Amino acid sequence: MDSTNSLVIETHNLSKIYQETQALKDLNLTVKQNSICGFLGPNGAGKSTTIKLLLGLIQPSGGQATVFGHDVQQDSVAIRKRVGYLAQDPRYYEHMTARQIISYTAHFFYRAPKELIEARVQEVLDLVSLEDKADRPVRGFSGGERQRLGIAQAQVNYPDLLILDEPAASLDPQGRHDVLEVMEKLRKYTTIFYSTHILDDVQRVSDTVAILNRGKLIAEAPIRELLAGDGGSAIYDITLKSEAEAAITGARDRVTSQPWVQNLGMTSQDGLICWQVSVSDDAAAEDLLLRLILEDRSLKVKCFGRKTYNLEEVFMELVEKENSK
Amino acid sequence: MTVQTHPHETRDLRLAARQGLLPARGSGWLTGFGNMLGKELGEWFCTRRWLWQLLIWLILINGFVGIILFVMPALESLLPGINASMQKPYEGLPPGAMALTQYFSIAMLAGTIGVIILAQDEVIQETQSGTAAWILSKPVARPAFILTKLLSNTIGALVFIVALPALVTLGEIYLDIHQVVSLVPFLVGLGLFMLTLFFYLSLVILLGVLCESRGPVMGIAFGVMLGGMLISNFIPFIGYVLPVTMDKIALAIVLGIPLPAMFVSQVISAVVLSIVFILVALWRFQQKEF
Repeated sequence: MDSTNSLVIETHNLSKIYQETQALKDLNLTVKQNSICGFLGPNGAGKSTTIKLLLGLIQPSGGQATVFGHDVQQDSVAIRKRVGYLAQDPRYYEHMTARQIISYTAHFFYRAPKELIEARVQEVLDLVSLEDKADRPVRGFSGGERQRLGIAQAQVNYPDLLILDEPAASLDPQGRHDVLEVMEKLRKYTTIFYSTHILDDVQRVSDTVAILNRGKLIAEAPIRELLAGDGGSAIYDITLKSEAEAAITGARDRVTSQPWVQNLGMTSQDGLICWQVSVSDDAAAEDLLLRLILEDRSLKVKCFGRKTYNLEEVFMELVEKENSK
Repeated sequence: MTVQTHPHETRDLRLAARQGLLPARGSGWLTGFGNMLGKELGEWFCTRRWLWQLLIWLILINGFVGIILFVMPALESLLPGINASMQKPYEGLPPGAMALTQYFSIAMLAGTIGVIILAQDEVIQETQSGTAAWILSKPVARPAFILTKLLSNTIGALVFIVALPALVTLGEIYLDIHQVVSLVPFLVGLGLFMLTLFFYLSLVILLGVLCESRGPVMGIAFGVMLGGMLISNFIPFIGYVLPVTMDKIALAIVLGIPLPAMFVSQVISAVVLSIVFILVALWRFQQKEF
């Protein structure tokens, strides 16, 4: 297996119980190297708990997890040497300036002449556009500035894995935009694992998505796959135009007679006929569906395409299905 | 397949070559210790904290000794006999005995209260504010976090509560009696003073790890100190376990008079209990969740 398919995070039945509350149930999660993995879930789903377990800030009640092949309980310090972390509500020493905080963080990872550390500090300050506020105490920082400082301190050690817990939460639209932009900038250097409940952000920057609900992983897939729907079944949207009613009826009979067609819904609007065809075999539909319709040359196909979902639809469907169990 | 360490080492070397940044020193249970200690000592010595601490302890300890040595005799004309009555208990003792007695009494009492107040917030404040979680998300060993707090406060107390006021006290005594106090016994006395402060520092750090709020930390620490002093009058055994009469032991050594009976057990007990407090704090902090 080549390095791009290597797993950075791997958990096996990872569980966490707080007193009598099961915060995480048998989590089996994998995150590939060089991916941006969005860790989705409603509030209280167990996202922060998972992140804290990976960092060794809390201890699992069951199961195990590895990061870079290191056990999170046994080799936590070795893991943290290669990880950058931004907490959901990052807290720093309020009297220190942004530059001092990043410098302090850098010294946990590196020793070097002062000017080299300072150069690296300046580099990450520039990355998050905090250069003009670098020498102000953190106590005066806005939420967005704190978040950017959080990303800067998380990035100072050139981490192989960047873990961000709700990086865009509680930010205004501009702040969110800035944070996502920084994540986009960093994607070529590092693997990013970030939790969020803001679905638009995930759709914008993620390669893969893991969805957690009530402590259980209910989906984990590349985002394109998830948005395309179930791997086996699919829905095709087709818009037709024809003067002859018989041509439409003939085409419908040809389509519905196929064993892989589950359902055909039809509506008409402005002289156009709209079909929604549910299929059980996506490959067969991709190969044959359009050919079957166009057997009658009097029919004109105005639009043909596999229905795609947005993440919100997928998320809501999965969560509701899980909650109704 | 999981990522092995080799590619990372290669990456580190590449970065090192590019930036001259070398991996930080420190491993095992001391990982991160140097950086944290530097920051903590910086807060003692590179902010205005040093000035405030210096002023507080010089005024409190040396101001009190100064009043005994220089102000009380000056009041003789206003309150005849006051100086003679103050000197009476120290007749037959070496010169400077009164000043040394007052020094050890006030320094030990005020110093103990001082370190309890100074250290009560050290762990709890960081735990509650979330900065401990931030620090512990970096390559930092948990024992290093606790030992940093203990060592930085020990150094701060040593410099500002013990060493500098002691030096000034020696100067005050010299000005008063024009004789130098015998240095070795005085240093041994200061060692016992420092041991007492260390005992309470260890206790407060442990309580900071065990408790979730400041109230119980202060309450238990002051309870041990003041309660120990009171109860030892009725239950002498307490005097063998807690450092409640360490000022008298230190003074006896400095003045060369017979040592109290509980001398050995009190010193050994203070050392052993301090070590136990630290070990329990380290063990409990290791289990703590952030």
